[in-house]
Amino acid sequence: MADTHGRGGVTTYRPSNGVARAAAAGPAWWSARRRERLLRLAFLLPAVAYLLAFFGYPVAQNVVMAFQHYTTATFYTGEAPWVGLANYAAVVGSPVFAKALLNTALFTLGSIAGQFVIGLAIAVFFRRQFPLSRVLRSLLLLPWLVPLIVSGAVWRWILDQDNGVLNRFLGALHLVDRPGWLTSTSLALIAVILVNIWIGIPFNTTILYGGLQDIPEELYEAAAMDGATGWRAFRYVTWPLLRPVVNVVLVLGVVYTIKVLDIILGLTGGGPANATQTIATQSYQLSFQQFDFGQGAALGNILIVISLVFALFYLRASRGAVRG
Amino acid sequence: MARRGAGLASRAWATATALIVTVGLAACGGGTGPSANVTSLRVLDYYNNEPDRTVYARMLDACGQQNGVKIEREIVPGANLIAKVLQQASSRTLPDVLMLDNPDLQQIAATGALSPISDFGLSTDGYAEGVVSASTYQGQVFGLQPVTNTIGLFYNETMLAQAGVTPPRTWDELKAAAAKLTSGSRYGVAFSAPANYEGTWQFLPFMWSNGGDEKNLASPEVAQALQLWVDLVNSGSASRSVLNWTQADVNEQFMAGNAAMMVNGPWQFPLLNKTANLKYAVVPIPAPRAGATVVAPLGGETWTIPRTGDKGRQAKAAKIVECLNSDANQLSLGKQRTTVPTKTGLRNQFAAEVPEMKAFTEAVQTARARTGELGADWPKAATKIYTAVQTALTGGATPEQALRQAQNG
Amino acid sequence: MASRARARRSWASTVTGVLLLAVMLFPVYWMANVSLQPSGSAVQTPWFPVRLSFAGYGVALSQQGGHLLTSLLVAAGSVAFSLLVATPAAYALAHFRLRGSTAMLFGILISQMIPGIVVANALYSAYNDLGLLNSIPGLILADSTAGIPFAILILRAFLGAIPTEVVEAARVDGAGQIRAFVSIVLPMSRNALITAALFTFLFTWSDFLFALTLTTTEDVRPVTLGLYQYIGTYVNDWSSVMATAVLASIPAVVLLLVAQRYVTAGVTGGAVK
Repeated sequence: MADTHGRGGVTTYRPSNGVARAAAAGPAWWSARRRERLLRLAFLLPAVAYLLAFFGYPVAQNVVMAFQHYTTATFYTGEAPWVGLANYAAVVGSPVFAKALLNTALFTLGSIAGQFVIGLAIAVFFRRQFPLSRVLRSLLLLPWLVPLIVSGAVWRWILDQDNGVLNRFLGALHLVDRPGWLTSTSLALIAVILVNIWIGIPFNTTILYGGLQDIPEELYEAAAMDGATGWRAFRYVTWPLLRPVVNVVLVLGVVYTIKVLDIILGLTGGGPANATQTIATQSYQLSFQQFDFGQGAALGNILIVISLVFALFYLRASRGAVRG
Repeated sequence: MARRGAGLASRAWATATALIVTVGLAACGGGTGPSANVTSLRVLDYYNNEPDRTVYARMLDACGQQNGVKIEREIVPGANLIAKVLQQASSRTLPDVLMLDNPDLQQIAATGALSPISDFGLSTDGYAEGVVSASTYQGQVFGLQPVTNTIGLFYNETMLAQAGVTPPRTWDELKAAAAKLTSGSRYGVAFSAPANYEGTWQFLPFMWSNGGDEKNLASPEVAQALQLWVDLVNSGSASRSVLNWTQADVNEQFMAGNAAMMVNGPWQFPLLNKTANLKYAVVPIPAPRAGATVVAPLGGETWTIPRTGDKGRQAKAAKIVECLNSDANQLSLGKQRTTVPTKTGLRNQFAAEVPEMKAFTEAVQTARARTGELGADWPKAATKIYTAVQTALTGGATPEQALRQAQNG
Repeated sequence: MASRARARRSWASTVTGVLLLAVMLFPVYWMANVSLQPSGSAVQTPWFPVRLSFAGYGVALSQQGGHLLTSLLVAAGSVAFSLLVATPAAYALAHFRLRGSTAMLFGILISQMIPGIVVANALYSAYNDLGLLNSIPGLILADSTAGIPFAILILRAFLGAIPTEVVEAARVDGAGQIRAFVSIVLPMSRNALITAALFTFLFTWSDFLFALTLTTTEDVRPVTLGLYQYIGTYVNDWSSVMATAVLASIPAVVLLLVAQRYVTAGVTGGAVK
């Protein structure tokens, strides 16, 4: 990094100048260093307090519920007999589990890959200045804005086998003959992934665009002078500087996608014949259709463990990003 | 759970204080007992859209006025009612009058949160048997249901006349009629078979009429019923999209002329009557053979009285439930909401006053409650049923195999 | 000559952009199309709303106006609150070497993995005891459960790019931590703040779960819940639903347009020099 004081080579880095002066002035028992530390913690305090207050109990309850026989009666009486690992055994041993796990993996990977690549491409595209770019960029967020129940309904009409516009369009082009997007066991998962990609593109595009904007133009000019433009510029200038933002977008993408519920329920309800059943939808059905909350929580916790693996990757990758 | 305990303690304290004050006031004011001081009651239901919303608003207010209470109503969307009920159960803030969809009553009664209606002198004498069994848990009745409905076969009179087809009465006739009526972009018949309880609901009349039983799904009777559906879809008489359609979607297909017949319920009458150039009529769902009884599932919502710990409020709540179930109100609800009153004594009068509900009024006589046999274990069986239906309709297995897989899985 | 070529390239980009948007927004167009249909049915909807009917909009406007305002208030409040809490925390996590930073990040990520219904159930009991049900501040606090963790993570990624030397230079000149943060770091992180604010707004605007759980009356009802008035157990009034959805998008789009104006290039770049 460039020398901040422009004094030719040597950077005088004295973080405690201000602190030293304060130490000379303040009372002896409350050392300035201590005050500095407390102030730093104070930056974190509101967030920590909020997170503990709003998430502490739910997280704990979610973990404990998986070890209990938790039914509708429990809500009223408070009694939830301990069953140890029985819930986990039941959900993992169920015939739907393997399919749900596979579907979850395919759904998550397919959605993230699609959303990220397309989102990044669009973000890079919008870096150029052209008329109406700001309006177009804002309108691009509309898919994210539409209530999920509405998106679900609209996509169900679009994907309808007999009358949906997609099949009418494909039929007019004589491409394929009326595939059953939501009613065929081989196509349903693909259809649901495509809809999820559609919903997720605005999220990726907007964040990546913000990140791209923070890369100084001078770096591109310098690179261009060295002969690196287009793809090479992207690889050697954009990508390394965008990495922190990319990391966070990917990890959040995984965490959010893995628990996607409403769009799958809205489009297919987990069908046809469990073709789009994921662990999240199965967890919801166990809890709210069959009223076995213990098993639902067990599945939910399995999802959390899977997300944690990705979170660990993220934390390792981002540890290098802390400066100072 | 410490937080919940604290909530209970504080609420118990508040209730105790309120009771003491109430009794004190009653003693001072010379009222006729605790019920004199109940000025408002909370009601929770899921009639969130028109016309039901206004119909019940008026009726609840009228019943409230008759009994000297103001009604505070909370309305939630249908799919979210049970979640709300559970939240309120755990924080002990259940309403005074709780509406439940009839198959959910046994689940909630099993928690101990509801009071038997006999505690308040209410009885189910004169009610249809199936309706009573849905509201019964372990021998006690926990709810009173004023109106019910079921499903029947709607058909487009113009289309059938053009094709020279009479409304089918048996399964074979249904298959033949549907085949004859399928032409171009129009399907002969439409029904709803999605991956949720709506699919189960639509399949039940076919299953039950053939002698099938939810206790044992892997039986030939159920397999034959499922085979009927599979045949209809495979032959092209019914669209493959039935796997995704809700009953509302099926109705829209029928209104648009894409289906000549449909399996649906009387709640569609308002929309159908608004559609221009649509002449339709209803017959009971076809039976397996000529002369067999058609057994359809019972729909409708039942009104319950949760245990709120306040005897005065509960007594008042019981009065409201009783009022909703009065003869006059049952007939009124039946007419306004195109549903069938549950008191058998009102049947003839209703059939005479509302002839368009004739097919449903008849079907309700032999209808059966979904939770009649399995009670609180119904949800598991319901899930197995729609899973098997979906597997068979997608061609993943034969009906027998699909049912066996679902039964064991 | 070169400028005309550049202008032509620009317009080519605009055309590409419009086409891209047309494909991406087709379902949204369809939503608007259905909202203008006379019958409210979605089956025979033609490609263009030739026969217009504003019945759906009439219903939506007359009944959802108050709900839209509630949604706006809750969303605005949530953005303000979330940024207020999250920005210092993100800065601390990005720049201070504090013990427990990793644990806190871990905790934040875990909070994002919890199913919303679990949080909603716990909040219902607590709110009931605290009397926060049916209140706008209550909803603001609850909806921030989506905004704050997200904002911390995003802001941390963006703020990490701000070089420490700039802040230290200010410290050397005698500014306190807070002053340095407010006068140096915040202006440089404008893109980050706007992006975080955008998504916090969108999360809150589209929240349904807390709106459903934490309200029992119609007094405080966000539009996501108001929408359900037209979605019954048996019958749906699609044109009113779609009309409400269209109306609900309009204020959000306006705000997005205004916000996007401020996401510009080179906010951090110049400071290093």
